[in-house]
Amino acid sequence: MSTLTEAPPPLAPAPERKPPRRRGRLVPYWLLLPGILWLLVFFALPMVYQASTSVQTGSLEEGYQVTWHLATYWDALTEYWPQFLRSVLYAGCATVLCLILGYPLAYLIAFRAGRWRNVVLILVIAPFFTSFLIRTLAWKTILADGGPVVGALNSLGVLDVTNWLGLTAGDRVLATPLAVICGLTYNFLPFMILPLYASLERIDQRLHEAAGDLYATPFTTFRRVTFPLSMPGVVSGTLLTFIPASGDYVNADLLGSTDTRMIGNVIQTQFLRVLDYPTAAALSFILMAAILIMVTVYIRKAGTEDLV
Amino acid sequence: MMTQDAGGDVRLSGISKKYGSFTAVHPLDLTVPQGSFFALLGASGCGKTTTLRMIAGLEEPSSGSVSLGDHDVTALPPYKRPVNTVFQSYALFPHLDIYENVAFGLRRRGIKSVKKQVDTMLELVQLGEQARKKPHQLSGGQQQRVAVARALINHPKVLLLDEPLGALDLKLRRQMQLELKRIQTEVGITFIHVTHDQEEAMTMADTVAVMNGGRVEQLGSPADLYENPQSTFVANFLGTSNLIEAEVDTKTGDDIVLKAGGGKLTLPGARCSAPTVTGGKVLVGIRPEKIALVHADDAGEIPAGRNRITGRIADSSFIGVSTQYVIDSPVCPEFEVYAQNVDRDLRLVPGTEVVLHWSPAHTFGLDAAQSLLAGTTGDAGIQAVGEEAA
Repeated sequence: MSTLTEAPPPLAPAPERKPPRRRGRLVPYWLLLPGILWLLVFFALPMVYQASTSVQTGSLEEGYQVTWHLATYWDALTEYWPQFLRSVLYAGCATVLCLILGYPLAYLIAFRAGRWRNVVLILVIAPFFTSFLIRTLAWKTILADGGPVVGALNSLGVLDVTNWLGLTAGDRVLATPLAVICGLTYNFLPFMILPLYASLERIDQRLHEAAGDLYATPFTTFRRVTFPLSMPGVVSGTLLTFIPASGDYVNADLLGSTDTRMIGNVIQTQFLRVLDYPTAAALSFILMAAILIMVTVYIRKAGTEDLV
Repeated sequence: MMTQDAGGDVRLSGISKKYGSFTAVHPLDLTVPQGSFFALLGASGCGKTTTLRMIAGLEEPSSGSVSLGDHDVTALPPYKRPVNTVFQSYALFPHLDIYENVAFGLRRRGIKSVKKQVDTMLELVQLGEQARKKPHQLSGGQQQRVAVARALINHPKVLLLDEPLGALDLKLRRQMQLELKRIQTEVGITFIHVTHDQEEAMTMADTVAVMNGGRVEQLGSPADLYENPQSTFVANFLGTSNLIEAEVDTKTGDDIVLKAGGGKLTLPGARCSAPTVTGGKVLVGIRPEKIALVHADDAGEIPAGRNRITGRIADSSFIGVSTQYVIDSPVCPEFEVYAQNVDRDLRLVPGTEVVLHWSPAHTFGLDAAQSLLAGTTGDAGIQAVGEEAA
C-alpha cells in the first residue's frame, strides 16, 4: 500500500487500480470465525457423534461398536410411537392455546398499551427471571388436588368437558394431559407473544385508517389487513413454541404421570437411566426429522414468503 | 351514484379540534360546493390535515358538525361515511396486489363482480399492466395513482387528498397535478385537497382556503387570493409581497392617499381590508411583478398618477425570463421587483439609484396591527406564525 501512495501514476485515471485493501475483504470471514467454531464444536460435532451412536451396538460393559445397525431406528419408532404422537399432540395444543392467549395480548401491547407498552413487555418477560424448573413446580401447587383452581374448574363444569375429551380424569387435573398442556402453554407463552408483538408493532397504523376509510368494519380490518400482515409473527411464534414444546420433558415429568410421557421423557430415560445410548440417539434423530418435515410443510402452507 | 342527490355540498359548522389544552382547529365554518376542487392551504401544523381527518371521520371533532349534503355524518365512523381518502403515505396494503388494493372498497361493500370496475379504474390511472404487482414493486408516482384509484372506485361523495404529492419529485409532482385535475374534471367528484405548496393549490383548485394557526385566514379563488390578500399572512404565503408601513393622509373620493417615507402613495379604498382613519397606520402591499423599474435619470418619463418610490439597487439576479432586483428604499429595506427581460436597461446594476413605479390599482392595503413577516418562510416568518398560533 505504501508504494501506491509514494508513486501515484501521474494524471492517469487509474482504471485498473488494484483493490487498495485486500485484507478488508477478509474481515467478514474473520468476524464469522467465532460463530462457525462454536457451531462446529457444539453443534456439528455432537450431531456426528450422536449419528454414529445411533448406529452402534453393544453394551455398557463391553463397549459400543459402529455396526450400522439401522434396525434401532425401526425398533425405536415401533416401540415409542405413542409418545411421539403424544408429543406432537400436546405441543400442538399448547401452541394453539399460546396463540389464542398470546395474540390478543400482543395486539393490546402493540396498539393500545400507549406509555405502558414497555412495562407490559417487561411483565411478559419477567417470569424468565425465575428458573424454568421452579416455575413449573409452582404449577404443581396451582393445580393441586382440591385446590382453588381445580375446585373452580370443577364447579364451572370445565372438568366435565375435559374429562369427556380425555384430558383429565375425575376430579384431578394434576398428573393428567391437561396439566402438561397447561404447563407447556405457560412456559412457552412469551415465545409466542414476543414475535407476535414484533410483527404487529411493525404494521403501519395508517393501514388501519385506510381500511376503515374503505368501508371495512373494525373486525373486517382485522381479518383482511391486520391478521394477514401479522402472519410472519404468527409463523415464527408458533415455531418458537411448537419446536421446543415437542421436545420438552420437564412439564410432563413434573405435572404429568406415566400416562403422559412425551418423547422427551423417553429420550431422557434412555440416556440417563436405561443407558441405552443407541436407542436414545435414534429417537433424537427421528424427532428432529419429524419436526423438520412438519415445519417445512407448515411454512410452505403459511406462504409467508409472499409477505413483505 | 355520485350525482344522485343534488345537495352534495360538504358543510362544516363550528367544527373544532382540541388536544388537551392545544387547539389544533378553532371553530370553523366552511362549505365546499359539490363538484368543486377545493384546497386547504397552510404551513405544517396549521390544522389543515386535522380538518380533513375530521371530514373523513378519522378524528372526532371537539365541537361542531360535519354534513354531506343533507346528512349529518358527525357521529358516523369512517367506514360508514361516503368519503374516501388518499393518504399522504398512500397507505396501500402491502400484502395485496394492485388489483386487490383497488377492489378493496368494493368488496367491503359486498359487491361481488368487481372486475369491470377495477379494470376501468386502473385504465383511468393508466396502470392496467401493473394489476398483479405488489405495491412495493411500483414507483412512487404509480403508487400514488393506485391510492387515487383505490379511493375513486367507490364513487365517494367527496375525495379527500392529504398532501398526496408530497413524496414525489418536482417534475412528477407537476405531472400528477395535471393528472389529478384531469381526473377530477372527468369524474366530477368533489375533491378536498390538503397541501402546503401554494403553487400546487393555485394550479389545481377552484377555491383555496388559506389556513393559519387553526383558522381560515382567507377563502377565495386563487387569483382573488393572490390579487387581494386580506392579511399579511396570505400576502406573504401566496407568492411574495412588498409591504410598506404608511400613514393615512387624506381620503379623496374612492382613493386613499398615504404618506410613506416622505413620498405619497395612492390606494383604492375598495382594495383596503383595514379600517382607515386620517393619521392611522396602514400596510401598503404591492406584488413584485407589478412594479416597473427605471433609472433615476429617466424619472421624468414616468406617467403621472403612478405610485412611485425611490431607492438603490442592492442586488440583482438574472434568471432568464426575468430579472429579480432587491431595492434598498427608505420605505422598505428589501423591496423586491421582478422585471420581465424585454428591453434590459444595462445601467441597472447594483448600486444604481432607481425609481420604482406602479399603478395604484395594483396596490392593496392591510391592517397595520399584523406582523409584517407572517407567512414568510424565513426564521422570522415561522416565529411570527408561531406567535399568531399561540
